[in-house]
Amino acid sequence: MIEQGIFWILTLFLVGGSLGMITSRHSVFASANFMLAMIALSGIFALLNQSFLFLAQILVAVGAVITLALLVIVSVNIHQRYTPDEPNMRRWLAGVSLLVLPFFVLLINTAGKMPISFKDVPAEFGTVRGVGATLFSDWVLPFELVSILLLVAMLAAIIISRRGGDHDA
Amino acid sequence: MSTAALIVTLGSIVLGALLALMMIPVLVWLERRIAGLIQDRVGPNRTNILGFRLGGVVQSFADVIKLVFKEEYYPGHIKTGRWLYIIAPAITFSAALLAFMVIPFADTVQFGGESLRIQPLPVDYGVLWYLAIGALGMIGIFFGGWLSHNKYSLLGTQRAGSMGLSYELPLGLAVVSMMLTYNTIDFNEMVRWQSGTVLGVVPAWGILVQPLAFIIFVVAIFAETNRAPFNVVEGESEIISGHMTEFSAMKFALYFMGEYIAMNSASAVVITMFLGGYQLPWLSTEMLNIHFGIVALALMAVLPLFLFVIIRWMRRNNSVRTTVSTDGGRDFETKVLTYALIGMGVVLELILGCFVFFGGGGTGTAIAVILLQIAVFVFKLMCFNIFFIVVRWTLPRFRFDQVQTLGWHYLLPLSLLNIFVTAIVIVGVGL
Repeated sequence: MIEQGIFWILTLFLVGGSLGMITSRHSVFASANFMLAMIALSGIFALLNQSFLFLAQILVAVGAVITLALLVIVSVNIHQRYTPDEPNMRRWLAGVSLLVLPFFVLLINTAGKMPISFKDVPAEFGTVRGVGATLFSDWVLPFELVSILLLVAMLAAIIISRRGGDHDA
Repeated sequence: MSTAALIVTLGSIVLGALLALMMIPVLVWLERRIAGLIQDRVGPNRTNILGFRLGGVVQSFADVIKLVFKEEYYPGHIKTGRWLYIIAPAITFSAALLAFMVIPFADTVQFGGESLRIQPLPVDYGVLWYLAIGALGMIGIFFGGWLSHNKYSLLGTQRAGSMGLSYELPLGLAVVSMMLTYNTIDFNEMVRWQSGTVLGVVPAWGILVQPLAFIIFVVAIFAETNRAPFNVVEGESEIISGHMTEFSAMKFALYFMGEYIAMNSASAVVITMFLGGYQLPWLSTEMLNIHFGIVALALMAVLPLFLFVIIRWMRRNNSVRTTVSTDGGRDFETKVLTYALIGMGVVLELILGCFVFFGGGGTGTAIAVILLQIAVFVFKLMCFNIFFIVVRWTLPRFRFDQVQTLGWHYLLPLSLLNIFVTAIVIVGVGL
């Protein structure tokens, strides 16, 4: 009963934070809402007794992603004249929302047909040892590929930022 | 949940809160008195309650009262987002406070078949918790600094962010090499590992097993807690007070206290990971449990000596110059404190005497060992906090580019090298 109450409160924060993130006018408030959503999500992991996922979520999403996003926000001075011109943005948003509405019905149907009870996971599931062993035995190739992808992205970002050097001579 | 479990859990939580929160006034006092000592002056020693100065620690409580009753001032240009501006210091404060809560104060005990951790949050992934929650403190600095709409605040925030991010890497990598060494992420297991000896003589403390990791970790933790010589975030001569410039009263106090709690947590983590935690050197918990009578006898012998030195030091120093006619109650304070210390000593001697001559039984010895380990922990914690303070008043502040060079060009490669060497040694030993 208490667990369900906590679950609903966390869900409220998760959905509210996500909505706040996309509706906030300013990026700092968007990242504050994003932080709220991520902490609520890690709270749901904690409710499922998944200590490693709970901490990894805070460590990666809040400690790394949001910190980096905020560092960019405080370091970059964005003026209105640098942002792209979007005259009919609200109309576009409404049109695209109508377009994806059938998929939403599909999503609700799928969610309604999900089984209510799940199999119990093995005891090693979600512990630090369990995650590490799985990552470096069954999933080692995708893991390495993802790290190469990130390396390539990082190099590309460095090269692109070095090339257009007319404003920071 | 049995009664013993309830008592241990509540006791650990209360002890954790006390060690984190009551340490703030003590640390502020120590900071000022040690600054005075190093700069050849006295430091705060006048504030008193009915003549009781306690060496000046009363000043810190007076400061707290002043900050609570001070006027709340909001800069007029903060229009939207005042709620975030108000809770930003609280984020930093609570992150620092929560990060402290996974430190074990004594070894896990067995009461009636249950094993109970003497740890406010009884979890076995303490290292990850400290890294994850400790990183949250930066978010509060970002929000506060950005919403202040002040050039100095923004500069301070940028410095805090880039310095925090660049020192998070060597910090995390030093922790990884310690995880490899101890083969665990549980703080208590780490301390138990350190209770052994290397080559049969030297205690197997992390500082002796991994000296390079210790140096990297301590330098990185000084930067993470924004303490001198890395306090470029609030370099007073350059950017006023950094992200705290526009904050006043209790909001400022929350940032200020958050910094001291972060320093306290950092000391606790350093002594837990590298300096043997709550362990006395050469005396593991099992040995203490078996031979507590001998340890109690040794304590009985040392305690009067210790008290004698403290009382003599107090009598010599708690006085005014001979030219001043009124002593402002200092003689009275010295007299009361002398009697209090002697009384405490007598009670402790009696209790220890019981253990020496009658033996405490299983439960009694276990409780005594816990209390002894907590005392050792607090002693080591205070020593490392004093080290933090002495470093602050000894070294000048680095320039910001020097800070970044040290982080990226020296500490990061060194910590990577340390991980490689550690891994090779571990694999070599395992072969």
